[in-house]
Amino acid sequence: MGKGQYIAKRIIQLIITFFIILTILFFLFRLALPDPTAALVMDGLSAEEQALVRARFGLDRPLVEQYFIYLRNFLTGEFGISFHYKSAVFPILMEKLFNTLALMLPAIFISYLIGPLLGVLLSWKRGSNTEFAGIVGGLFLRSAPVFWTGMIFIMIFGIWLGILPTSGMRTLPYTATGNFDKIMTLDYLRHLFLPMLTIALYYLGLPMLIMRNTMLEIMGEDFIELCQAKGLSERRIMYKHVARNALLPVVTQAAITIGLAVGGQVVVEVVFSWPGLGREMIQAVRTSDFPMAQSAFMMMAGLVLIMNTVADLLYSYLDPRVVLKGGNK
Amino acid sequence: MAAKKGFKERLKYFKPMLVNLFEPFKIIFRDPLGRIGAILLSIIILIAIFAPMLASHDPNQMNERIEGSVIPFDEDGEWKNYQVIGQRPLNEVALGDNYQLAAADEGYIYLKELGDDWQEFKLELNINFLAAAVYEELRFVAGEAGIILRQAADSWQIMPTNTEENINDLIILNSSQAYAVGDNGLFLSWDGDSWTEIDSSTTRNLREISFINSEDGIIVGDRGTIIHYRDGELSEPSFRSFMDSTFRDLLAVSYFNENQAIAVGERATVMIYDGQDWYTADSGASRSLNGVIHTSENEAYAVGLRGSIIKYDGESWQSLDRITRRDYRGISFADDQGYIYGVEPYINELAPPSRDHFFGTTHLGRDIWSQVMYGTRTALMVGIIAALVVNFIGATVGLIAGYYRGGVDNFLMRIVDIMYGLPLEPFAIILVLIFEPSLWIIIMAIGLLTWRTNARIIRSQVLSLVERPFIKAARVAGASDARIMLIHITPNILPLAFLQLAVAMGYAITAEATLSFLGLGPPQIYSWGTILHSARLSGAWRTAWWWVIPPGLFISVTVISVFLISRSLEVLTNPRLRGGRDNAPEAEEFENILPDEQ
Repeated sequence: MGKGQYIAKRIIQLIITFFIILTILFFLFRLALPDPTAALVMDGLSAEEQALVRARFGLDRPLVEQYFIYLRNFLTGEFGISFHYKSAVFPILMEKLFNTLALMLPAIFISYLIGPLLGVLLSWKRGSNTEFAGIVGGLFLRSAPVFWTGMIFIMIFGIWLGILPTSGMRTLPYTATGNFDKIMTLDYLRHLFLPMLTIALYYLGLPMLIMRNTMLEIMGEDFIELCQAKGLSERRIMYKHVARNALLPVVTQAAITIGLAVGGQVVVEVVFSWPGLGREMIQAVRTSDFPMAQSAFMMMAGLVLIMNTVADLLYSYLDPRVVLKGGNK
Repeated sequence: MAAKKGFKERLKYFKPMLVNLFEPFKIIFRDPLGRIGAILLSIIILIAIFAPMLASHDPNQMNERIEGSVIPFDEDGEWKNYQVIGQRPLNEVALGDNYQLAAADEGYIYLKELGDDWQEFKLELNINFLAAAVYEELRFVAGEAGIILRQAADSWQIMPTNTEENINDLIILNSSQAYAVGDNGLFLSWDGDSWTEIDSSTTRNLREISFINSEDGIIVGDRGTIIHYRDGELSEPSFRSFMDSTFRDLLAVSYFNENQAIAVGERATVMIYDGQDWYTADSGASRSLNGVIHTSENEAYAVGLRGSIIKYDGESWQSLDRITRRDYRGISFADDQGYIYGVEPYINELAPPSRDHFFGTTHLGRDIWSQVMYGTRTALMVGIIAALVVNFIGATVGLIAGYYRGGVDNFLMRIVDIMYGLPLEPFAIILVLIFEPSLWIIIMAIGLLTWRTNARIIRSQVLSLVERPFIKAARVAGASDARIMLIHITPNILPLAFLQLAVAMGYAITAEATLSFLGLGPPQIYSWGTILHSARLSGAWRTAWWWVIPPGLFISVTVISVFLISRSLEVLTNPRLRGGRDNAPEAEEFENILPDEQ
C-alpha cells in the first residue's frame, strides 16, 4: 500500500466514523427526549405558542426529515441557536474552543517537554532508587484525580500564599479586541499558571514512562551494541541514538493527548472557572441547553477523531514500516 | 451415571480455567510493588466491607457540640478571651469575693478560686443545675426538681424545699436572707435556716430575680411577667404585680438602682424601668436574649443566641462584634469582674480534625470521616461492576473478532474505532443530560465506552492463539466453534482479562469520582467525588483543608494500588518479562500500566 493511499484510507475512515457518531448522537437525543423544548417552554405558554416554539426549532417535522436537516445544518456550519444565549452556537463555541486550547496546549507542551527528559533519566538510572521513585511518582501523578490536585494548588498558592489568581482567564473586567489580544498579557499568564501546572503534572507521567520503556527496549537492540563497539560515549549514544528513536511513540501519544485534552479536562476548567469548552458544556447540561451541549460534544468528538488520525499518520511518517505492514495499529 | 460422568468431564475442562485464575495472584505476590498494591487494595476492600462499623457517626447527621465556656470581662472593659472550661453548658456563674462558682448541666459544677484555674466537680445528682449563688462563705446551687444544694465543708448537702418545680434563679442577699424563683410561679425565701414558699399569685414560670438592697427586688418570668418585691417597713413580704404590653417571655433582669432596671427576653425583647414605669425599648437585635447585667450607672450588656452581645449606654443599644456564633445563656458582673457564659449545643460546623471527628466536619456539621468510609463502598462497587461490564463486553468482542477474523473482525473493529472517537467525560455528561443522574448512568457510561481497549488487547491475543497447534488439533477433531472458544481459548485469555479487570477498575474509580465531582452523581449517595463536590459547592473548601485532602487521598491510594497490581501482572501479557526487571520490557508495556486516555 502506498503512502498516499494509506492517508486517503485513514481520512475516509475518519469521515465515516464521524458521520456515524453524528447519527448516534441525533437518535440518542431525539429518542430519549422527544421534546427538548420542554425545558424552554415557560409556564403559562399557550398550546399555540408552544407549537410556534417547536416550529422555530424544527421539531414539528417527521424524524427522518429532522435528521436530514440536522446533517445539512451540520455540513453548512449551522449549529443552531442556543436556548440559553438566544444566539448562534457556533461563534460562542469557537471562542470557548480557543480558550480551552489556550490552556491545554501550553500544558501539554510542557509535560511533553519535561516528561521525555525525565524518561531518559529514569532509563539511564535503571534499577536504582531514582528509577523506583520516578515510577511510583509518575503513577501517583496519574492516580491523583486532576480536580483534586487543582483544588490543593488553589488552597496552597491562591489562598494560603495568596500569590496567584485562582479563577478565570483574566482579571475582570477587561477589554480585548480579539482572542490573541486576550492572551497577550501578563495577567493571562498569571491566570494560566495554576491550571496549566495541574494539567501538566497529570500528563507528565505518561510520556515519562513511555520514554523510559521505549528507551530500555531500544538499548537492547543490535545497533546500540555497534555504537558501543565504535567507542561512542555513553552520553552520545543515549541522546543521539537511543532517545531519538524512542521519541517516536511519545510524539504520537502527544497527538492523541491533544485530541483528548479538549474534551477530557472538563474538571480542570470547572475547578479553575476557566471559560472553556468543557465548562460551557457542563453549564449547557445544567440549563438544559441542548443545541449547545450537543454541538460542544460534536466538536470534542471531532477533535478526538482528527487527532487520532493525525497520530496514525504521524506514526506512519516517522516509522515507514507501519505503512508497509498495511495495518492501522 | 452418565450425568455424573458428564459433570466430571465438565469439571476437567474448568480445571485449566481455575488454575489460570489463581496464576495472577501468585504473580502479584511475587513482585514487591504488586504486594504493596495488593495490601493497599485489601485494606480498601476491608474498609468498604466494614464501613458501617468504622464510621464513627451517621454521615448525614448534623453533629452538635456541647461545651461550657466563659468570656471574662477584662481590665479594658471588653469581653475577651473565650475559654472553654468544661464539657457541659454553664447555666449561671456566681461571683464571690475571692472565688467563682458555675452551675452546669448534668450535675456538674465548676469552681474557680482567685488566681486558680477552673475545677470541675461532678455531684451525685444527675440533674441540670440552673442557678448558683454565693455570699461570703455561703455557696448555693439549685436546679431541676426543686433541689437546692449548700456547700458545707467539702460536701454539698441538699436543703429541704418541699417543691418539685425547677428552680431557675437563686440569690443570696446576706447570711440570713436568700431567695429563689422557679417554674409555675415558684418563689422561695430563706431565713438563714430553712426555705419557705411564698405565694407569688402567678403560675407562670419565673426566670430571674434581682435586688438592689435587701428590701427591693424584681422578678421576671414568662409571658411578660414582672413582679416588684418590696419589703419596705413591712415585716411580711409584699408584691406589686406589674403588667406591661409585652407577652413575650422575659428571661433575665438586672436591677441597678431605684431608677434603673432592664429586663430582656425572647425575640430580643427589652424592657426598661425608670423608677416609675416599664416601657419597651428597641434593642436592634433579633435573637432571643438570655441575660442582662449593668456594669455601671449608664452601662449595661445583654447577651443571647448565636453569640449576640448588645451594649446599652443609657440611651440606646448597639451590637458588639461577635466573639463566637454560639449561644450564650447569661451574663454576670460584680466588682469589676464579669463573665458571659454558656453555651447551648451548637452545630459543630467546619471543625478541624479532632478525636471526635477524625477528618473534621462539613459546613453542616457532618462527620467527614464517616462520609469517606461510606464513600469507599461506592467507589469499589462502581469500580468492580464497571470493570466486570467492560471486561465482559471487551472480552466477548475481542474473542469473536479474533476467532472469526475477516468480515466479522473488520466490522467489530470499526465499532471499536467509533468508540475511540467518543470522549468519556463529555459522553457521560450527555447521558446525564438525557437521563437522571445515578450510579447506573456512570457505570453505563464507563461500560459503554471503555471496553474498546479490552477488545483490542484480547483480540490480538486470540489472533495469536488460533494459530497454535492445539487449536488446530481441536478443529481437526471436529470441535465446534463455540466449544473451541469456550474450552480452549477462554482459559488462555483469562489471565489477560484479569489484568484488564484491574486496569478497568482503576479507570472506573477515577471516572466515577470525576463525574460525581462535577455534580453528575446521585446526590443521596456518598462517594469520594460527591464529598469533594459538596465541599466545592459550599465554598468552604478553600480553607477547610480537612474536607478536601482525605477523599482525594483515598481516590489516589485506591487507584495507585490497582495500578501497581496491574503493573505486576504485566508478565502475563509479556512472558519475556518473567525473571527480573532488567529484562527489557516491550514497548506495549506503557499501554497497560496506565489506563488509556479515554
